[in-house]
Amino acid sequence: MKKNRSLLFRAFSLVVPATLLLAACTPAATNTPAPTAVPANTAVPANTALPANTAVPATSVPADTAVPAATALPEGVIPVEDGATIVFSGWGDETEQKIYRDSIARFNELYPNVTVDYQPIPADFQVKLKAAMVSGTAADVFYVDDQLMTAFGPSGKLLALDDFMTEAGTSRADFIPALLSIFTRDGQTYALPKDWGTLGLAFLPEAFEDAGLDLPTADWTWDDLKAAAEAIAAKGTYAGFCQGADWARFAPFAFGNGGSYASDDFTTATLDSPEIIEAANFVVGLKESGALVTAADVGAGWCGEAIGKKLVAMTYEGGWMVNFIRQNYADVVWQAVPLPTGPVGKADVIFTNGIGVNAGSKFPRAAAAFAIFVTGRDNQGEIVATGFAYSTHPDQIDMVVDPNDAAIAQGGTFDLTRVAYWGPNTGKVNDAVSQALERVYLGDQTVEEAFAQAQEEAQAALDEAQNTP
Amino acid sequence: MASAQPARPKIFKTERARQEALTAYLFIAPYLIVTVVFTLGVLIFAFYISFTSFDLFTSPRWVWFDNYLKAVAPGGDFIRSLVNVLWYVMIVVPFQTALALVLATIINVKVRGSQFFRTVFYAPSVTSSVVITMIFWWLYLKTGYLNFGLTKLWGLFGAEWTSVEWLNNPRGLFQLVAMAFGGDIPSNLWFLRGPSVTWMAIMFQNIFTTAPTFMIMFLAALQEIPPTLYEAAAIDGANRRQQFWRITIPMLRPVLLLVVVLGTIGTWQIFDQVKILTAGGPLDTTLVPVYLIYAEALGTKGPSQMGYAAAMAFLLAIIIFTFTLIQRRYIESGTEQY
Repeated sequence: MKKNRSLLFRAFSLVVPATLLLAACTPAATNTPAPTAVPANTAVPANTALPANTAVPATSVPADTAVPAATALPEGVIPVEDGATIVFSGWGDETEQKIYRDSIARFNELYPNVTVDYQPIPADFQVKLKAAMVSGTAADVFYVDDQLMTAFGPSGKLLALDDFMTEAGTSRADFIPALLSIFTRDGQTYALPKDWGTLGLAFLPEAFEDAGLDLPTADWTWDDLKAAAEAIAAKGTYAGFCQGADWARFAPFAFGNGGSYASDDFTTATLDSPEIIEAANFVVGLKESGALVTAADVGAGWCGEAIGKKLVAMTYEGGWMVNFIRQNYADVVWQAVPLPTGPVGKADVIFTNGIGVNAGSKFPRAAAAFAIFVTGRDNQGEIVATGFAYSTHPDQIDMVVDPNDAAIAQGGTFDLTRVAYWGPNTGKVNDAVSQALERVYLGDQTVEEAFAQAQEEAQAALDEAQNTP
Repeated sequence: MASAQPARPKIFKTERARQEALTAYLFIAPYLIVTVVFTLGVLIFAFYISFTSFDLFTSPRWVWFDNYLKAVAPGGDFIRSLVNVLWYVMIVVPFQTALALVLATIINVKVRGSQFFRTVFYAPSVTSSVVITMIFWWLYLKTGYLNFGLTKLWGLFGAEWTSVEWLNNPRGLFQLVAMAFGGDIPSNLWFLRGPSVTWMAIMFQNIFTTAPTFMIMFLAALQEIPPTLYEAAAIDGANRRQQFWRITIPMLRPVLLLVVVLGTIGTWQIFDQVKILTAGGPLDTTLVPVYLIYAEALGTKGPSQMGYAAAMAFLLAIIIFTFTLIQRRYIESGTEQY
């Protein structure tokens, strides 16, 4: 029996670490295919409800258009601590990293005495930054999205930038107003928008020729979209319109019908409003008539890929399409126009991320100077010229290089365009919308039932946000 | 020993014994300190946090049992995750235990090459679960190998296979059965729908990955069963099946307990696969407690709710503890304890 035990013990000691490893609850820091909060480049709408739509478009630009550094503008330079060393951190693939290395080089021309230590974190950025912030080792300057703003804003972990902006001769008025909404708290600016994205109607011209239809134009309405999608679906060579159960893609329909996911003060969910129900009925009607398919229906990872594979005629996608198609489906001809006009007006949804400064930074002036410089007009002009992202300054929208990208970018200027931001629990509200759509798509619930449930869930999330200090 | 002076009770009989004990404590000190600080200390802190509202960045606010009440509120995410994981435990544990036992029995037969199969069977267990999960991700994609293989297989019989979105199919097992008969289970009775297709896909992966680990344990135990027992049984006229049920299984009981307990604890704590493959979707059908705790603690969709997460963690610990106790009572009756 003694021998028995010793052998078993050996087996046991072999197995226990293995089991522990299996059961280990470590947040695996790998580049996982299920993006919970997609830290891809220009705020690709985090497709949280549909994690299977995994192939999120990686925006990576062959940086063949690197532009020489901007001319120095001494009046924008603020005095900083001598010999300051600041750490700058953000997500992003190699293309994005190159964009920011170039930005740092331009910054150093104006501020030769500041050393910027760039430490990109490509995966699980938000989680890692929160952990670093708790332990006091967070970077001095870092990317801020709505999740990080929620975590850091109320607790004073971010430095208000307004005074430094005044000193540097810039102001909130220099930026596209909608972009600042996420980063504003009690009238103070806690991060500056570094870039933004929006949606356009991307389409495959050959599908329209095949069905004998005219190509979409900038003055299309929902009815035109519907008619074309149904005609193409009826022809059968291509599917009509590709759209998943996704809050981001649904948002232009909601906003274009005069709806919103929540009231402007983020206290009341408005998902059971007639505007939303109507918009949802329109989308679901397309689905029921066979004019709307999901990417999975046609065997693609996401709708942009469905265009690249020539499976669908139309979809709502953003500027990340440009490089995705260029790199993966170079021979595919596609075009984009601004989104069709809704019953109430032209609308689109904006995704944005900002750059903020750690309130605990040892060199707050240098850090603020860097955040202001990177998001400033000169540097944004350089970035937009690379085709990597849109400038956050309204007068630079028309600097977008690619014609399709430029058409998509126009969505940012529509009257009803807004950021789908609803306060600290934005993620939960948006999730409720995605899940409601998914239940309807599945045939589980009617539009009214699904959005009544979403309304309850979203209201609970908004109440929770109100009750947490 | 009885002396007049009120000396403090002697713990060690001799000075040498005392020295030895001190040395022993000195040797285990590094581990002990690490455990006390990073396990016990953290545990106590988490217990305190579970009674507070804490977002990581502002100081904790005492809220009594709010977090626990929120967790057990009907219709909440935690309840939902418990139902999901319960399906998981009930299906994965029996299957992986049975598979492990079968594999061990097969491998225990001394034939040429059994060493090779031992290694092959064990391979999934020594591979990082993240890596295995990535491999299964490729298998399960709508355009992945599983659908590809099934299409080919169906094609052999002249039928057509409709590709299944293994990782994004919220339809439940019982719901599918109901649908086959033209019915459906409404979404307000979601708990009757059974595990979703996606959830079952993850179960399959986990059975595949974990069974070999337990196979090794069964194998070790199998080899310790004295051959004389089988010989005696054979002489008494017991056939193979009788030998298996009357000798092998009873002799394996202690290991069986170990395997079931470890399996249960492991399945209650499933995390990696969910984080990598589904993030709790589709429609929360793969939402599990540990993933929910992770998401709430780090605030992936809203502010961090450390207190709520800690409360759920303690509730989960209580549940696992209870399950383990029940299993012990049930399996161990009359056998050696581990």
